[in-house]
Amino acid sequence: MSAESRAAHMSDFEIGTPEGRRWAQVRATFGISAFGVNAWTADGPDRIVINEHDETGPRPHEELYFVVNGHAVFTINGEEVDAPAGTFVFVRDPAAKRKAVAKEAETTVLAVGGPRGQAFEPVEWERGAQALRHWETKDWEAAMAELSELHGEHPDDARILYNLACAESLAGKRKDALGHLRQSVQLDGTFAELAADDSDFDPIRDDPEFSAIAGQADTGSTSS
Amino acid sequence: MSTYEVAHLDELERFPVDDEGLTWRPVRRRLGIEAFGCNAYTAEKAGDRVVEEHSEQGGHEELYFVAAGHATFTLGEEEVDAPAGTFVFAAPGTKRGAHATEPGTTILALGAKPGVPHEISKWEAIFVAFGHLRNGDEAAGRTELEAALAEYPGEWQGFFNAACFESLTGNRDQALAHLRHAIELDPKAKEWAAKDTDFDWLRDDPEFPS
Repeated sequence: MSAESRAAHMSDFEIGTPEGRRWAQVRATFGISAFGVNAWTADGPDRIVINEHDETGPRPHEELYFVVNGHAVFTINGEEVDAPAGTFVFVRDPAAKRKAVAKEAETTVLAVGGPRGQAFEPVEWERGAQALRHWETKDWEAAMAELSELHGEHPDDARILYNLACAESLAGKRKDALGHLRQSVQLDGTFAELAADDSDFDPIRDDPEFSAIAGQADTGSTSS
Repeated sequence: MSTYEVAHLDELERFPVDDEGLTWRPVRRRLGIEAFGCNAYTAEKAGDRVVEEHSEQGGHEELYFVAAGHATFTLGEEEVDAPAGTFVFAAPGTKRGAHATEPGTTILALGAKPGVPHEISKWEAIFVAFGHLRNGDEAAGRTELEAALAEYPGEWQGFFNAACFESLTGNRDQALAHLRHAIELDPKAKEWAAKDTDFDWLRDDPEFPS
């Protein structure tokens, strides 16, 4: 069934995320099924507006970024690209590591992606990441309920497990948090490294079991 | 192929599309995007058209983003106020269009067909050719046109459009030759020629196909 035609301003459907940026879930909001599209706004200067990631996977994506407001600096495979408002940055190579940092507060980057030569399919990370809206209201019970349900549907999704562990840590459920973080890391080692710098784990950081798991890493995809 | 491409909106080409002020700024073509369609449209003045009225009968989902300025969309029968930062999603088949309500309004248009790999329009170069012509650069337009004909030698639409281009630029012999070839490839080109005003000055020519 096709999605219905309609309009909405970005500010009407943005959600806050723990790392100081807002996420407008454009694709999911409009039910778009032909390409991935999201927008990210950094609350302040020097904030990450696009997480470091690549677009490899079963359907490697080309990705287009458009700096809507403010000023960003992209880093693509180690090369810096200055990107004031109005700049398009098109990353053709799915394997290229890319990230963007805001130089100004309220820097917004629109990210659009899809696979070259293949039909687009929404990817898993987006579904799990929607639960991040509960971080703004600190409603850890709601976050855990939503992520637990998703974990039941997608037991091998490391990102859902990681976010569930974050919510459990913040809710004071140390044992559950450590168990789910360990499972996440067993599925995808990069989450061990990510956990090391994630303040969501501050409540359990002193636990020797946490220290055994944690390291450094990047986070997921942005457009789709 | 390079890993990435960078371009600022101000560097994109500007091709006038109609008499209502609609200006096409090719993004997909400039950057070499293959997975989805992307273009920008700019209106210089308030009241200018900034999205052509159309329905995407080919099945594309389209998302419009008001990147700068302010526009009023029509979406089906509904009028939608769209300041900068507004997304407008148009499902395939929905009639849509937009006018600027502020000078310098720029809209990004993103599109693709669900469930299938994205295909780049065969006729993008033709649109560029006519854009150059409207900008007064006949030579650049002809270069684009010739490239399109070489790429799709069996498609009547390319030769039909080439005939229109040559007719509009007063090249009788080339216009008639392209039109004859288009009709050889598909006789429906003759019906199209009968109602296309681009050929009005040639219609009484004894060699004009009738």
